[in-house]
Amino acid sequence: MLAIFNTDLLVAMIRLSTPITLAAIGATICERSGIVNIAMEGIMIVGAFFATVVAYYTGSPWLGLLAGVLAGGLYSMIHAVATVTFHLEHVVSGAVLNVLAVGITRYFMVLFFGHPGTTDPVPKGLGEYQFAIPFLSKIPVLGPALFNQTPIVYMSFILVILFTWLLKKTKVGLHIRAAGEHPLALETIGVSVYKMRYLGVFISGLTSGLAGAFLSIENGVSFTEGMSNGKGFIALAAMISGSWNPVGAFLASLFFGFADALQIRFQVFKLLPIPEELFIIFPYLATVIAVAGLVRKSRPPKEDGVDFMIEKTGE
Amino acid sequence: MRSYRNTLLIALVLILAISGTILYLGSYFWGGLLIMAAGALYLVNAYFEKGKAEVLSMIRRYGRTILIPIIGILASLLLGIIIMLATGYDPVRAFKALFYGGFVKNWHISVLNAAPLIFTGLSVAFAFQAGLFNIGAEGQYYIGAMAAAWLGLVLNLPALITLILIFVVAGILSAAWNFVPALLKVKTGAHEVITTMMLAHVARYLSPIFIRAFGGDPSSSKHPYVTDTILESAWLPRFQQFLPKSNYRLHTGIIIAIAMAFVVYYILYKTKYGFEIRAVGANKDAARAQGISIGKNIFRALLFAGFLAGFAGVNQVVGLDHKLFENLQANYGWNGISVALLAGNNPIVVIFTGLLWGALDAGGQYMARTTQTPNAIVEIVKGVMLFLIVAKYIYVYIGNGLKRRSKTKAAPDAAEARG
Repeated sequence: MLAIFNTDLLVAMIRLSTPITLAAIGATICERSGIVNIAMEGIMIVGAFFATVVAYYTGSPWLGLLAGVLAGGLYSMIHAVATVTFHLEHVVSGAVLNVLAVGITRYFMVLFFGHPGTTDPVPKGLGEYQFAIPFLSKIPVLGPALFNQTPIVYMSFILVILFTWLLKKTKVGLHIRAAGEHPLALETIGVSVYKMRYLGVFISGLTSGLAGAFLSIENGVSFTEGMSNGKGFIALAAMISGSWNPVGAFLASLFFGFADALQIRFQVFKLLPIPEELFIIFPYLATVIAVAGLVRKSRPPKEDGVDFMIEKTGE
Repeated sequence: MRSYRNTLLIALVLILAISGTILYLGSYFWGGLLIMAAGALYLVNAYFEKGKAEVLSMIRRYGRTILIPIIGILASLLLGIIIMLATGYDPVRAFKALFYGGFVKNWHISVLNAAPLIFTGLSVAFAFQAGLFNIGAEGQYYIGAMAAAWLGLVLNLPALITLILIFVVAGILSAAWNFVPALLKVKTGAHEVITTMMLAHVARYLSPIFIRAFGGDPSSSKHPYVTDTILESAWLPRFQQFLPKSNYRLHTGIIIAIAMAFVVYYILYKTKYGFEIRAVGANKDAARAQGISIGKNIFRALLFAGFLAGFAGVNQVVGLDHKLFENLQANYGWNGISVALLAGNNPIVVIFTGLLWGALDAGGQYMARTTQTPNAIVEIVKGVMLFLIVAKYIYVYIGNGLKRRSKTKAAPDAAEARG
């Protein structure tokens, strides 16, 4: 039983947590700017699909990656326009975007591949570019898990650090935080709250698109309907459990990745005589428990999800 | 004398409306005419009672209310046409097939689709009235379906008692499924969007275990993903039993769905409970100041929402399939969110949006079959429609833009419209 706790488990944990990490750190920026984003699931689907399409037709997974990120960014702008400019309730807009993403990908799948369900595999996936960082990957146990990975996994590490720096040390980060904490004050010093919120949503769209590209052309080589499987919502939970901080979100994502990796191992090795579905539900239950146990300690940005109208400042 | 005539007219309107609805739902197309006649008579009655000016203003009010949905529907259809033209499909043929399939040819499929959508739509709408997002209606749907299949297989009682028991027990179990999200929301503030959503996935993965336990045999390729057929005493009556010419699959679940919509409306707008729930949804702090318990109402709203979504599952098992399929693409829960949003969370309007969504689904399938247009275009049109109808501020924005351009009105007027 203890034999499953080995380096392979850690490798799988990192792999499975990467899309959650990416979506969660993007959502962290988004919510810090004051916009609730539950559309990550849909953005991920759109990103995953268009990454596959471009990688399939150009043969280059790198172009596919770029397309996935851009598609995610563009798609998230609908959320920005709806919530910031048209003052639609954030959760409502997010829910609609999740529904819409399924329709868009299904329609274009029939158009590009001639059949619904699963796309044809891309000629070359990003997973082929796995490389070990010299020296670091030689560290026992942790080395292979952290430093012998595929490109997007490394990108997720870099982005966690980058976003922490962005939020804490830069002027833009300060403005983003202010847009979520005290938009009126921000507007008073002459910085547009709308712009900061657009930026926040756009960043979360880019990272969710990247998460989608990870699912389709790095972890696998094709896009399947429903492949995000609730990961966007788990990312939301990771963001909350991580107290709206990139590093916290990363750690929480690792926990969910661990739950998922463990589940797969239990299922594959048939360690307990119970139906395999009971293992599959484990990460989802872990999510509920994590949100329930940790949420009390963290506090969302003050004006998170609160609509802001410029007119309030008086014209 | 006058009130006597009014009572008589209202009674006539009710009889026409109810019989028209039943006939219409039993795929008798001219039943719709009776419903329209009921509407016309209602107006006539109002004319006698309140006078011409009142009736005209009423028509104008209703007209304005449905103007935004009509604009939204037309604009989203237009976008569908553009997408189809850009991608090489014939929009005229496609939309002809869509409407012919959804509203005329396969009308009965539209109604069959609508029943579970109305239940899940009511569920989402009810929770939303309390400011809660029951995004996991899909999970409660599975619980209801499993409970119905289980009771349908083991209960051996007279039909009426069996059906009542199934609806009540399955409803209670689905409500109980929302107990944990409600508890966590009250005790720790955990957001119900995450908890109900995660539990929906849990319920979805429980269903194959259940199916294997009740007849689904994984070793035989014949019935791997379906339970045994439930006892006939647990079948919901079909329209065919009293309307011989209606389609044989049409069952009376849709009547229960419509009745539930009225029950939910009554609870929300005519009882103390409903008032408290709406007060919590409108403004938590004001409600608390009035001495309304927030926690108690969160429990009430989420549990009743679960109860309603469970009915959707029951409806499918005892009405349509008479067994439980491992159907992971049912999506009644997710579509219920759209149905509720589209209806502005009004239970009565949910009936119509449920029928519209059901008709679009049925028409989309007919369209895909006859014109080879991917029916996902319907999904896109539905999504866009939802956006254009829900985001009412778009119209204020456009209106203000037009006003500013023509410079006929001063700025304060625009600000007023916004507030």
